[in-house]
Amino acid sequence: MKKTSTVGKSNRTAMVLLILGLSTIIFPLYMTVVIAFKQPSEMTNSISGILSLPKVWSLDNFREAMRVTDFWNSLKNSLLISVLTVGLSILIHSLMGYTLGRNKKSKFYNFVYLFIVSGMFVPFAILMMPLAKQTAEMGLANWFGVILLYVVFYMPMNVMLYSGYLTNIPLALEEAARVDGASTWRTYWAIIFPIMRPMHATVAVITALAVWNDVMTPLIIMAGSSENTLPLAQLNFQSQFGTNYNLAFASYLLSLIPILVFYVICQKQILNGVVNGAVK
Amino acid sequence: MKRKEVRSLAFAACLTATVPFVWGCGDASDGKIEVEIVQYKPEAANYFKTVEEAFNASHDDIHLTISSPNDAMAILKTRFIREDYPDIIGIGGDINYSYFVDADILADISGYAGMQDVNEGYLDIAEALELVPVDGTYILPYAANAAGILYNREMFEQHGWQIPETWEEMLALCDQISAEGILPFYFGFKDTWTCLAPWNAMAVELAPADATKQVNKGLTSFTDEYGELAGKYLALLPYGPDDPFAYSYNDACTAFARGESAMYPIGSYAAPQILSVNPDLKIDSFVMPASDAKEGRTLNSGIDLGFCVTKDCKNKEAAYEVLDFLYADDTLQKYIDAQTSVPCKKGSFTLPVILDGMSEFIASGNMTDYQDHYYPSEMSVDALLQTFLIEKDKDAFLKNFDTSWQRYNRDIIRMVQEYEAAHGSAQ
Amino acid sequence: MEVHSRKGVNVMSKHENERKRTFLLITIPILALFVCFNTIPLIRGALYSFTNSRGFGSHDWVGLRNYIDLFSDARVGKSYLFTIKLALVTTIVVNVLSLIMALLLNSKIRAKGFFRGAYFLPNILGSLVVGYIFNYFFTYIVPALADMTGITSLSSSILSSPGKAWIGVMIVCAWQAIAMNTIIYISGLQTVPEDVYEAGGLDGATGWKQFKHLTFPLIIPFFSINMVLCVKNFLMVFDQIIALTKGGPAQSTESISYLIYNNGMSGGQFGFQSANAVVFFIVIVVISVAQMKFSSSKEEQL
Repeated sequence: MKKTSTVGKSNRTAMVLLILGLSTIIFPLYMTVVIAFKQPSEMTNSISGILSLPKVWSLDNFREAMRVTDFWNSLKNSLLISVLTVGLSILIHSLMGYTLGRNKKSKFYNFVYLFIVSGMFVPFAILMMPLAKQTAEMGLANWFGVILLYVVFYMPMNVMLYSGYLTNIPLALEEAARVDGASTWRTYWAIIFPIMRPMHATVAVITALAVWNDVMTPLIIMAGSSENTLPLAQLNFQSQFGTNYNLAFASYLLSLIPILVFYVICQKQILNGVVNGAVK
Repeated sequence: MKRKEVRSLAFAACLTATVPFVWGCGDASDGKIEVEIVQYKPEAANYFKTVEEAFNASHDDIHLTISSPNDAMAILKTRFIREDYPDIIGIGGDINYSYFVDADILADISGYAGMQDVNEGYLDIAEALELVPVDGTYILPYAANAAGILYNREMFEQHGWQIPETWEEMLALCDQISAEGILPFYFGFKDTWTCLAPWNAMAVELAPADATKQVNKGLTSFTDEYGELAGKYLALLPYGPDDPFAYSYNDACTAFARGESAMYPIGSYAAPQILSVNPDLKIDSFVMPASDAKEGRTLNSGIDLGFCVTKDCKNKEAAYEVLDFLYADDTLQKYIDAQTSVPCKKGSFTLPVILDGMSEFIASGNMTDYQDHYYPSEMSVDALLQTFLIEKDKDAFLKNFDTSWQRYNRDIIRMVQEYEAAHGSAQ
Repeated sequence: MEVHSRKGVNVMSKHENERKRTFLLITIPILALFVCFNTIPLIRGALYSFTNSRGFGSHDWVGLRNYIDLFSDARVGKSYLFTIKLALVTTIVVNVLSLIMALLLNSKIRAKGFFRGAYFLPNILGSLVVGYIFNYFFTYIVPALADMTGITSLSSSILSSPGKAWIGVMIVCAWQAIAMNTIIYISGLQTVPEDVYEAGGLDGATGWKQFKHLTFPLIIPFFSINMVLCVKNFLMVFDQIIALTKGGPAQSTESISYLIYNNGMSGGQFGFQSANAVVFFIVIVVISVAQMKFSSSKEEQL
């Protein structure tokens, strides 16, 4: 990899700051883990009580949480929805972002850009009822409908990200390919799409995370079907008259793992400053 | 080249993966009649799972599905808008039930044989919930809850405290408890809905049961009806924790379970949560004393769960068969044990021990519905109460209550007054 | 860098046409999908704002009544004030902190992957967990710390004080949002070519100067994206309200989205809250378009 020429001195300060900042992460995480292992009878309202380690380190909570949420099945559903949404988003949104990012001078495309981006600001509550009705009418009150909706919901933000990223990608790259007689479509897939890899990774992380934790869309669109996503299944832990935090926390820890792994993989991609590498 | 292959593979994978979804949505039925129940109490999900299994194991011709989703009201409403009605819905006897009756979504089930076994008190409560009187019965009351005061029985026995029967006795008891260095009450007012529990419990003695209806008819105002109630509510606050608005329902349950207070003004529904923290706690209950008279007292109890058959239900016979199964004594008894509730059915049931102190009232049917069952949820009376308890400005609260009421109930008031104009002479 | 190769006007215009056609062919189907699942439902939803619908059952047309009510409704007004205050403060806090985070995480440090992973965690924790932990933190831990150090103003939970609860919401929003904004800034920093720093290093630009004159101008597109996203996310704040305060105490933290959902979906005010949603939508679009216009004019200046 490339050697960076940043001044060595500032790094120590950076390390110190980052380590100090970690306390804001470690404390909540510690609480989550400890609570996930405790029994309801170990929950107290005193500080020493809640911060103390569980009496027994047993995986019972995790086992029970997996049973209640029908973990493997819900995980499978969540994974499929997330993976498909992310895949479609990267393909469709990057194309749209490219088209709009490269036509900033055109009135029409500028309008389309604003039109799509403004979709980001529609309060979901106003769409809920009509969408529930519309998806049912179109026979889309199922997973596929949920994925389609996600592709539309996250389009504004992703298109904005992609077209923003494009401003830093020189037009010269495309022109070179065009000279060789390649069509715009070919050029896009051969040159631009790969170059946007860090942005793909960013979009993938943002989209995956939003989809992974979303409750409302599947709740409304698939209401009445017996299939669950993880967040839907996790709703079982909370009700007005009593929440089993121990099971809930265990379950949240479990569902955190896949997305964290995904993030770690993606952030390597974000790191690869591809533009630098490609313009050489 | 390689990259291209990967891409087309990904594309193909996307497409093939979506196919089973599209196909998977239609259930294959095997000649059985499908009956679907959506019920709104997620905390009873386990109970309904066992009911579903037991029913399906014993019935060859009907297949029953019961779902107990969280936020069931949002789900029901979205399903209603797409005209996808479950056969039976399990809801509480509150304003939503009133709305559903008004929206003509529910079927008249007065012809159902099981109706004969319902405790009449609850049928009256159900009828009172109709915005304007409608012919027929639309709900089979299943289980009720009761609100009052839960107390730590061991603590009471140790100190020899007596159960109060009047408001004065209650304040005296609180002073006595405080004097011994124990906190009389715990409140979890951070969760606004808990503000309603003492309010409702006191209201049954201090305000007319049909206060909201009288206001809708333009006969009175809340400033007149709720004045004493609001004043007495404020008087309870000093006997609770210093900053009751910092604690959630969960915190309050935990604190009470750990013996941090002697009493907890909440409904019977809190028992499972309290016992989960401290399974050995002996909890008992008594009816909230709010007036100075020992006679004329009544228990705050309302329909916590009832079953309604939708108009759209294809096979009423099958639905009734399901109701028969749900309403069988042993099925209902299991629900009562699991949820610490009160049965809405006549007959001999074993009540949960936690309701011992209220059993007299229950046995004699001396019960009055929750005031808040008549409040539209969007008015957020719970939040108004919380504001009132923080700011302690009684006049402002009552005035705000009256103006908000007119504002949020405008369409209902108009409907009631039109009805009165048309039918008023007959009454 | 520049590619010097012109093969005549003929080829160019042919290319231009092909390019235009391709762009159009890409735009039409995607736009159609968008209109189908965003614009049409929005219009259908907006129609409810002229009714007294509860969300189900029959309803009457009431004309502009909901809109007239909207402007005289104190609760709605209060929710706008709260939401705007929250969005402004949180946007500033989040952008400053996440820009610093991105620079730190992008500098040459050890265990980069570990740090990036760790700082991403707040974003993945579900809102139930975040709500519980921060409730606990504000209710029990902060007052205990305040008692120990003698800061009396913090000795009771800030979430129970109508005047201070918004600060609690702000802290949680920022805590969760910083991770995402940092990622966007990091991917922005990746587009800054190394040679810019090398050239800058020769001119003696280091530290703050280097950032101000070299780095920041180059990541302005990402800065404006983050600003727009932040303002939008915090104006539409919902999850954190549900997890933390449910609008309380004393209705002091009812955000607009919370009110729309709670009264429109859970409650029976569907028609009225649809009107609220329509107005809210227009407000955010206006704010955001102004923001984008402003930052794109900034971009051009540089």
